[in-house]
Amino acid sequence: MSKIMTVDILSSIKGAKESEAVSKLFDAIKNANTSNSNATNTNHTNAVSLDDLREDVVIDSPQAEKQIIIENFPKEKDGYLVVSKVIEE
Amino acid sequence: MSQIHKIHQQLVSKEISCTKLVQERLDLLKSNTHNTVNSLLDSLALDLAAKVDAKIAKGEEIGLLEGIPFGIKDVYMVQGTLTTASSDLIKNYKSSYTATAIQKLLDAGAIPLVKENCDSFGHGSSSENTIFGAVKNAMNTDLVAGGSSGGSAVNVAKDYTVFSIGGDTGGSVRQPAGYNKIYGLKPTYGRISRYGLMAYASSTDCVGPIAKSIEDIRIVLNVMSGKDVKDQTTYPSEEISKENILKSEEIKTVGYFKNFIESDAIDVQVKADFLVSIEKIKAKGIEVKELDFFESDTLVSTYYTLAMAETASNLSRLDGTNYGARIEGDNLKDTYSITRSENFSEETKRRIVGGNQVLSQGFSDEIYLKGLNLRDQISENFEKDFKEVAIILSPVTPSSPPKIGDSLKDPLAMYLSDAYTVGFSLGQLPTLTVPQGTATGLQITAAKNNDELVLKFANFLKDTL
Repeated sequence: MSKIMTVDILSSIKGAKESEAVSKLFDAIKNANTSNSNATNTNHTNAVSLDDLREDVVIDSPQAEKQIIIENFPKEKDGYLVVSKVIEE
Repeated sequence: MSQIHKIHQQLVSKEISCTKLVQERLDLLKSNTHNTVNSLLDSLALDLAAKVDAKIAKGEEIGLLEGIPFGIKDVYMVQGTLTTASSDLIKNYKSSYTATAIQKLLDAGAIPLVKENCDSFGHGSSSENTIFGAVKNAMNTDLVAGGSSGGSAVNVAKDYTVFSIGGDTGGSVRQPAGYNKIYGLKPTYGRISRYGLMAYASSTDCVGPIAKSIEDIRIVLNVMSGKDVKDQTTYPSEEISKENILKSEEIKTVGYFKNFIESDAIDVQVKADFLVSIEKIKAKGIEVKELDFFESDTLVSTYYTLAMAETASNLSRLDGTNYGARIEGDNLKDTYSITRSENFSEETKRRIVGGNQVLSQGFSDEIYLKGLNLRDQISENFEKDFKEVAIILSPVTPSSPPKIGDSLKDPLAMYLSDAYTVGFSLGQLPTLTVPQGTATGLQITAAKNNDELVLKFANFLKDTL
């Protein structure tokens, strides 16, 4: 059986709770009238056309970029990123 | 008057050196008490200035933007500089690459001075949600600067930078521009590449110039615009010429939203000033039409619902694994949640939680999908309006800037104060704040891709109001 995912787990934020201010915004949406007509989906036309996709090639990052990425590692050992212990449950 | 043209002439005629110009502005930024600075790019700026001076000394021609000092909201990647989004989580994060819009300005020779204070991850309308201290208004330091691009607006208003690059998701360039009495443009969505702009709500995020003149906005907009393979929502656009935006004869009809002006929430003075502006426009022979629009609470709720859903998704990458201030827990999941709980601000957490709420089962149909449907209706409404009028004019905000401290106490009031800006974001329309008409300015909006018309009408208003 699937577990219920609460907002603190979904958000990966300890003790997170629903906010009253945000709930009021959601209430306004619930109460708003929406038309029955099929909207023209004008905002859904942002996707690029298939004829216009960029080339699917691997571009190697410049050395300077790689160096900064390593500098940003929260924990580093011998040039490698140290990650947290994986979930054991 | 265009500051860019003026300084360009001063550099070319050797009236000032670029090094002196840059040093003076850096000193002003460093000593300012408005909390506009997250980090100064002093050595980079002075190196670039020395190169411009060497070029001038050799008698070489310089481009219009060459040597012009500018500021960058601290959500843009500039390789090798700290990019903090005014947050604890990435306060030590160093950009590994440079945003396309900023790279284009660097290629044109403009000199970056500063990474500017703002609301953390763009989450705010007052520039108080920041680890660097609330940004203080340029005119009255008891008041907020507006947000989220508050530091950028104040730097321009105080002449610390000639122009600054803000980011506008729901009004974050237009509202602080209004609060500090300068120009701020949210271009048509997709006109300028978002590559390298830290994502808040990807479907409305826009790169926006802030400056003291329409001409400076035009120059900077032209340089940053264009298709970019790294942001596939971008489209090719034509350069806007200086001459074209000086003629406004083609604008014969202007509209405004009746319910914005008749709302109980609008300040009486803002309303009176707006209506005086309308009369002055009519007196010039332009027909003004009253238009119907969605209620403010529907606009604000639709915008925030979609923006929170998008930011919950965009910020899920910030878990302290690859970068950021990781706080180790007992296991991976624990590490994620401690890192995020300790390092995100209350407002950012509120938006992430709200976003995950609307995206979860049981909520998504009732709220998120309904929000998307409302957004489509809002866009349809705009399409219908722009068949009747060339320009829509609105106040920028219902009232004057609040006192520092007030917005943080009442998040709902802060959300509602965005009532006049968020609709144009949802419609992805070009909208410019001009520092005339009301205490916090006016917004000029045109149909999609018609940024030129917005600048034309701004010139008309400058001469009319």
